[in-house]
Amino acid sequence: MTDSAAILPKPAALEARRPGLLRRLRYLEPSNLLWVLLVATLLFLVAVPIGKLLVVSFEEQGTGAFTLSNYATAYGRVRYLEALGNSLMLGALSSFFSVIFAVPMAWAVSRTDMPGKGFTWAMVMGAFIMPPYLGAVGWILLAGPNSGFLNQAWTWLTGIESPLVNVYSFAGLALVIALHSFPLIFIFVKSALDLISSEMEDAANILGAGTWTAMRKVTLPLVWPAVLGGIIVVFLETVALFGTPAIIGIPARINVVTTQLWQFFEYPVRVEVAAAYAMPLLLITIGMIAVQKLLLARKGFVSQTGKGGERRPIRLGGWRWAVLGYCVFVGALSVLMPLVVLLQASFAKAWGRGLSLANLTLDNYAYLLFRHEMALTSIWNTLWFSAASATAAVIIAVLVAYIVARRLVPFGSALGFLAMAPFVIPGIVMAIGFYAAYAAPPVALYGTALIIILAFTARFLPIAFANSSAAVRAVHPEMEEASRILGGGRLLTIRRITAPLISRSLIGGWLIVFIVASRELSAAVFLVGPRTRTMSVLLYDLSEAGNFEVLAAFGGLLLAITLILVAIGMKLAGRDFMLRRN
Amino acid sequence: MPRLTLKGLGKAYGPLKVVNDVDLTLEEGEFVSLLGPSGCGKTTTLRMIAGFIEPTEGSISMNGEVLSAPGAVLPPERRRMSMIFQSYAIWPNMTVAENVGFGLKLQKLPSAEVKSRIGRILEVVKMSHLADRYPSELSGGQQQRVALARAIVVQPSVLLLDEPLSNLDANLREEMRFEIRRLHDEFRITTVYVTHDQSEAMATADRIAVMNAGRIEQVDAPHLIYTRPRTRFVAAFIGRTNLLEGRLANGEIGLDGFALRAAQLGGAPPDSARPILLSVRPQSMALHRTQPAARDGYPLLPATVAQRTYLGESWDYVVHPRESGLQLRVTAPPLQVHEVGETVWLEFDPQQIAVVN
Amino acid sequence: MQGISRRGLLASAAIIGSGGAAMRAAAQDLPAHERALYEAAKREGQVTWYSGQQSAETSEAVGRAFGERYPGVHVNVVRSTSQVAFQRLSQDIRAGVAQCDVFSSVDYSHSTFLKRQGRLMAYTPQNAAGLLEFARKAGDPDGQFHVFYIGVHLLSRHTGQVPAAEAPKSWQDLLDPKWRGKMAVGHPGFSGAIGAWAVLMRKMYGWEYFTKLEKNRPQIGRSSIDPVTALNAGERSIGVAVPSATALLSISRGNPQELIYPTDGTVVVPSPSCIQKNAPHPNAAKLFMEFATGPEYFRVTRKYFSESLRGDVPPPEGAKPLESIKIIMPTPQEIETGVTEVKEQWRDTFGI
Repeated sequence: MTDSAAILPKPAALEARRPGLLRRLRYLEPSNLLWVLLVATLLFLVAVPIGKLLVVSFEEQGTGAFTLSNYATAYGRVRYLEALGNSLMLGALSSFFSVIFAVPMAWAVSRTDMPGKGFTWAMVMGAFIMPPYLGAVGWILLAGPNSGFLNQAWTWLTGIESPLVNVYSFAGLALVIALHSFPLIFIFVKSALDLISSEMEDAANILGAGTWTAMRKVTLPLVWPAVLGGIIVVFLETVALFGTPAIIGIPARINVVTTQLWQFFEYPVRVEVAAAYAMPLLLITIGMIAVQKLLLARKGFVSQTGKGGERRPIRLGGWRWAVLGYCVFVGALSVLMPLVVLLQASFAKAWGRGLSLANLTLDNYAYLLFRHEMALTSIWNTLWFSAASATAAVIIAVLVAYIVARRLVPFGSALGFLAMAPFVIPGIVMAIGFYAAYAAPPVALYGTALIIILAFTARFLPIAFANSSAAVRAVHPEMEEASRILGGGRLLTIRRITAPLISRSLIGGWLIVFIVASRELSAAVFLVGPRTRTMSVLLYDLSEAGNFEVLAAFGGLLLAITLILVAIGMKLAGRDFMLRRN
Repeated sequence: MPRLTLKGLGKAYGPLKVVNDVDLTLEEGEFVSLLGPSGCGKTTTLRMIAGFIEPTEGSISMNGEVLSAPGAVLPPERRRMSMIFQSYAIWPNMTVAENVGFGLKLQKLPSAEVKSRIGRILEVVKMSHLADRYPSELSGGQQQRVALARAIVVQPSVLLLDEPLSNLDANLREEMRFEIRRLHDEFRITTVYVTHDQSEAMATADRIAVMNAGRIEQVDAPHLIYTRPRTRFVAAFIGRTNLLEGRLANGEIGLDGFALRAAQLGGAPPDSARPILLSVRPQSMALHRTQPAARDGYPLLPATVAQRTYLGESWDYVVHPRESGLQLRVTAPPLQVHEVGETVWLEFDPQQIAVVN
Repeated sequence: MQGISRRGLLASAAIIGSGGAAMRAAAQDLPAHERALYEAAKREGQVTWYSGQQSAETSEAVGRAFGERYPGVHVNVVRSTSQVAFQRLSQDIRAGVAQCDVFSSVDYSHSTFLKRQGRLMAYTPQNAAGLLEFARKAGDPDGQFHVFYIGVHLLSRHTGQVPAAEAPKSWQDLLDPKWRGKMAVGHPGFSGAIGAWAVLMRKMYGWEYFTKLEKNRPQIGRSSIDPVTALNAGERSIGVAVPSATALLSISRGNPQELIYPTDGTVVVPSPSCIQKNAPHPNAAKLFMEFATGPEYFRVTRKYFSESLRGDVPPPEGAKPLESIKIIMPTPQEIETGVTEVKEQWRDTFGI
């Protein structure tokens, strides 16, 4: 109904004088006002911070006069350019590793009769919910060149002094990042594989191709768009990651864009230069999306949408144990090994002294829970910031998804675009945008809980939107029309019909946002105040001094909270709620 | 008399006119079917009546009160209509009784009355024993009955049906077709029924409005739509037919290789000399193995069998009259077998031949 | 462990009171000037302390002790490295939001800079009169900042991996190629103490010292404390410019480390603290200054092996008396101009 703008309610006095208007009000849908509000909210959350960032990058500090000098400063040093190059290489290498980890696992779980699929699922899920910086700490304990357990075991076994693996290296950094990003590719590829009918493979088999040839020549090429999509997401995530490069990159002497951005916030705070320096991240993102469009436009990938045909697992014979072995291997690298050493460290007086009764203590936990008042505050902060953000994001997302799906306003897809835009804005850039736009008066939100909640809401809006959008689209419009024609207004229909139908999906979406918000570091690190530090920021602060025992204990608390939520999620929203791709 | 009137109704998306200048009036209690191929604008028209789509031209009014006009659309919830959807749109989160009672509760009726009306309507649609079931526990036909009950129980001023039977299998479709007509005979609700299936329209409707490319081609009782099509489209769309072009001159219609006397044809005989289109149904011709006795006004032509298809209930022959370029489809009973290439005599029944324009 | 020793360098005074004095002083036992402030501070309820001085554990203990001495006034301890603490404060200033009451860092230039900008509140705590003379003099004559912490930074070795005889004896010794891949050090971009240390090394040996040090590939952490934990873990065997307090605390818990006092000078960094002019809790901030210059603070931090700057609190156990060793100390001027320079040079040399 496109007549909304013309017939919004007018002041009562006006109505009295013009009875014709009253008659027209009969045609009004009261819900139209809500859409206006929503547009304003999206502009506030997404467009203004990013717009402000762009504007600020051309402003002189202090005067606000137009200048290009920020760009000159941001790109005027070889070191800064090197950081940019490092980020790009790191993104490429992490994506590469992620594909190596994820694609065989996705194929095995989706297409074959490999045993232990539940275990594989659990590993992927574990890798997904473990915060990347915690994994980084775990891998420092495992693969520190001299003290890491792996290297010690290596030396003990072989007598060779030089380390087997060194986490403080470019490859080490990329690997650790990949170990926590590969679930993204796994989810993409598995859901694509699930849609491919066995007939595709049968057709190749009948022409003489064996299992492996059919997989290489037919199955995998068909899911290439999913792989590519996954690669792009991992690349962008890696380039925007702050915690892992700060924890591993500094000892490894690798400067990347995000750690360099952090340096621009040293005294004097150069938001302008940081903004100018953040622009390539945005351009890279836009470029990658364009490349994806270009690559996929050329070939048809029709079978992906094909629903027909049976899907039966490929019989691998003896090979299935080898494939399972690979899944266990990846699971061990990404979840089991880091988890074991973190737990060990969290109960150790000095983690390097290994497992012994004399080294055992509960003091790290006791210190955090009873002698460190910020720790409890930060746990509370994390919980309620995440809950508030998840609630806000889901409410906004479901309303936007509804408007877009039901084409309630002209240019509704622009709303959808705004809601999805943060997906391509690195979290750290988003945070700087929020700092530039809302930290100072007149808004003066710096140091408040609100600015963090707003930043989290904006940052994770795309997750909530994708989730809500799928949920809303799954509700046939006729479900609502059936209510309206029987006399239910738009809002009553949403409340009585739509909401109950999508509530399960929304709970799932809420929990996903909650979980990712509860571990978010890069968006928080520029926005926290003394009383609004989150667990992730406190963890980052604790990591400065390298006190891994306390760090591990704090990480243990964070994981415990996450696991409880995941369990609730599985109960309320289905076992696979986190790994469903909509 | 409550009358639903569509006047000059049109809907355009940009330059594309989906519905164009539609005029239609329904008397109270009348059952009209909108029939046409997919994309003809029939569903758009129905959804404009419901208030889901705003017209770009013309108006929809009820008893003289305008419901829809460009820029002024009364929302669906204030039209006191009800609708049955292609997908049934039975709410899966409510029981059968809750589904059926939804509209009544919105009318703020006392709960005792709601209860008794739900009970009565479920009895009518033979679903009383399933009142507490959830939709996922029902078959397609049962869901369809719930949709019917939900739509009828509110005693709407107009009942709209959008391809309600297209998701059912053939047997059930036939059963529900009669069910819909039975309910209409019982409640006499003014009804608009959209379908692309002519037998559905024939079986249910008082009148059929045949739509094509956004326009109404013809509105008539079912048997008239069939026997007296007034446009080439209607003639071709309803049933199967042979469309023959001829020329009228001196009371005779000249066709390729033979002629018919205009006065003998069904419908009003045309009066002036002009090109003319005839609809000759396959069953309005007969095939004879040998030359039969000529009857006055029943043209008789020698022809060759060019193709044949056995359809179970009948033979479908394509014959080729000698000294003519025509190809005609002729229906014959199953026992009347002709081989391809065989010479037959083709006899026309002028009473069943309709002048289309 | 060595016994308690006295320090001649720090003007001596009779030890008054005992280390075992009751921790929980009831409010009525407070000296008059503290009691007046306490009453005002109670209405404010809290005080926010940005600190880059003590370790996280020590800072938390200070916050707790304050809360016990002055019930109803809570310390928000925001512990990080000095440069990160200053970064947070700068962000506050840039955003025009007052969140910090008391700011403590190891970088002298932070306080002098803030003073020049007119951002500090002048307040001379009465308890400061009891500080050792050198500490009193290191503070601002106008009372805008005070020194109640000194960083003592030196070398440490992993006793299992480096025998005492082979250990480096001086900063110069670290350039020996045999320490390649063995050392760990903090980062001047984060740690104020490492900034001061780098300024002193550059002054004594020129920047070549660091280009040579770089060739030995030290592992670079952020905080000056990071090498201590790297040694505990056995990741590295020589800690460079580690704070004595954290190292001693670690040793007291049984970790295999030993301090080495470099022959070319142990780095001592007087570290100022200041109250912000726009402090949201000004009375609590003043009370915190009283607390931090008074004996109670040093009794607490002494247990974490921090140097005592009051004559009435003995120095921590296990530390060499500072008068018995060679001390090098940067001047405020050297810090003000030097730290920014060495940060850039460091990043160019070490690439991070």
